[in-house]
Amino acid sequence: MIKFPGFRGYRCACYPVEPARPSPRNAGFRGCRYARDTVMFLSFTDTDAVLRNRVKSWEDESVDNRELWASLGMDLGKHDEFLAPLPGAYTNLFLERSRRPRAMSYFDAVVGDIHGIRVKELVAAKENGHKVFATFCVYVPEEIIVAAGSACIGLCAGAQYTVPAAEKVLPRNLCPLIKSAMGFKLERICPYFQVADWVIGETTCDGKKKAWEILNDYVPTYVMELPQKKRVQDNAFWEEEVREFAAFVEKETEVKLTKDNLAEGIAKINRKRAALKRLAALRQASPAPIHGLDVLVINQLAFFDDPERFASRVELLCTELEERVAQNEGVAPPEAPRILITGTPQPIPFWKIHALIEQAGGVVVGEETCTGERYYRDLTEPASNKDGMLVNIARRPLNVNCACFTPNAGRVKDILSLADNLRVDGVIDFTLQFCQPYGVESHTVAKELEKREIPHLRLESDFSEEDQGQLKTRIEAFLEMLK
Amino acid sequence: MKAAGLDLGSVNTKLVILDNGKPVFKKAVPSRFDPVSVGRELLEEACREYEPAETVVTGYGRVSFPENRVVTEITCQAKGCHYFFPEVPYILDLGGQDAKVIKKNAQGKVVSFVMNDKCAAGTGRFLDVIFKGLDLRPEDTDSAAEAEPVPINSMCTVFAESEVITLLAKGTPKTSVVAGLFKSTATRLARFIETQGQADTLVFTGGGAHYRPLVRLLAEQIAAEIVIPPEPELTAALGAALIANRAQTTL
Repeated sequence: MIKFPGFRGYRCACYPVEPARPSPRNAGFRGCRYARDTVMFLSFTDTDAVLRNRVKSWEDESVDNRELWASLGMDLGKHDEFLAPLPGAYTNLFLERSRRPRAMSYFDAVVGDIHGIRVKELVAAKENGHKVFATFCVYVPEEIIVAAGSACIGLCAGAQYTVPAAEKVLPRNLCPLIKSAMGFKLERICPYFQVADWVIGETTCDGKKKAWEILNDYVPTYVMELPQKKRVQDNAFWEEEVREFAAFVEKETEVKLTKDNLAEGIAKINRKRAALKRLAALRQASPAPIHGLDVLVINQLAFFDDPERFASRVELLCTELEERVAQNEGVAPPEAPRILITGTPQPIPFWKIHALIEQAGGVVVGEETCTGERYYRDLTEPASNKDGMLVNIARRPLNVNCACFTPNAGRVKDILSLADNLRVDGVIDFTLQFCQPYGVESHTVAKELEKREIPHLRLESDFSEEDQGQLKTRIEAFLEMLK
Repeated sequence: MKAAGLDLGSVNTKLVILDNGKPVFKKAVPSRFDPVSVGRELLEEACREYEPAETVVTGYGRVSFPENRVVTEITCQAKGCHYFFPEVPYILDLGGQDAKVIKKNAQGKVVSFVMNDKCAAGTGRFLDVIFKGLDLRPEDTDSAAEAEPVPINSMCTVFAESEVITLLAKGTPKTSVVAGLFKSTATRLARFIETQGQADTLVFTGGGAHYRPLVRLLAEQIAAEIVIPPEPELTAALGAALIANRAQTTL
């Protein structure tokens, strides 16, 4: 069997996983027991002085990640086992690639300490009286959370390791994203889950809708009801949900939402989305200036990182890529097949699909997914008063075309316009197993792509590594077809 | 000018050598769960005699031959079938561990394809496992399938096996069970083919094409003419050899 470079040993919790050893290659990964004391090798540029100092001060304080995790009630043994393969996987998949943009070093450092630095920030924020809200979905209005001075974070949900634990409370034939997330909480492996005051759920699919009821036994879960159509009355209904949510955030944080703090919340999140849009637009260039896998990890981190710092790092990367594009430089030859991914989200650390495509000689130039376009394409319009701001915050996500809506013709339009703008050679429609909305909509997507003679391939998978051989064959055959 | 095509399949490892575009050597040997060493031996043996200038390796074991040019079995299968049936766009390949439907154009280039999910349902392996359980050799299944088929609903190899055991325990004749297995496989394959379009004629290739009752039942199900290449288990290796040959001539 062909082993996916990442996540060896994830399959079975009792499988002995060799601990990562400190070496120059994985020394950046402080999340690992054996690597945590070694210096961060990922070099920061001069403009990183602030961050570098912060990293240094954390190190000086010698607040060990393990102490932090223990204080959050995590299962350290399982957490070690979960994180052990990450340095090797990240090194193979990301760090060893040639011509990576220099500005990726920041994002590498964030992944390298994925359960450290940011978690410490969140703990510190909580000590200062702020709250942490954890979400799973691009429809949750993070502007409101940020306006109240609280943090909005994503949750761990992209690993096979926690799936068996979740199957104790959830059916086996359920979306792996839901199972993975539930398992992270049940096993106390995700520090973001542990630090969160609230999980903000939504009703985007039946699996999640019902899983919230179970999750609520372990962490307080607030559920926003998203309508299933986009008529005037549905928009009004959603606006009411957003107002109710705003009142809930005010109550929980004891911060009054005002014109000023809402404007600030909107501006911060808009800046983050605008930076990601700018990055996405740069991928129109041929040769592609950046690997799709690098952009995927950035899109994944968009849910976790501090929004302002994150935006500034994405902007830096964009400036570097603009120079590349101007000089006609790229990471793949101009003839490499350009692939658009459409379908279900790819939560961190699920990198399998992008990695296999790019290892086979293709380059992913866009993602019509929640870890892509759907997250950042639409910004919130500014308004002059608090009420107008709430209305606009509610309006923005309804432009997002998720398969949970019916009808959802907008998504096909989105796919076609991306295929055109990004000059793609083929579309890969990726669905997580047992995802009914996207699984069913695949038929419509295929039909519409067929009509326009856009080559496409449908893939279904989960977070495990068993099907890599089959996926590789399909992906390679698809790329051969495009040549 | 010689070109070789090596197909490392899950059940058999196949080698075809072309001389000026004409097959001069063909061989299929059991993979014995080690297609890589079997393939190497086969290639070395043939190389001593034929000295092919170019080799293309395909099949799931292809990744273990990085020194050679590797092409997926989908592209190779289309090329191999195109050699015999240039005018037929639809191909069904029923192999040991997967089933594929490929649509090709007038030049033999793949236009679209679909493969079965990761389990063995509806593949050659499915039939092999059940027939082994029934103590039947593949060549015995032709006559065994003459009876009225009994419905077999499970397509999971494991569940189907227990369904078969239950049927036999109830006294259902073995022939009806075999006919039922072919019928349910044909039904599944027919739906699979229809996801790629409506075929008037279909190339049926891969080891599964040797099951004559299956071919007959499938032709009825999809209301199409089915054509079978002379040695269906060899078409992917032939396609690989054709690609190797073309690479050579364009050098």
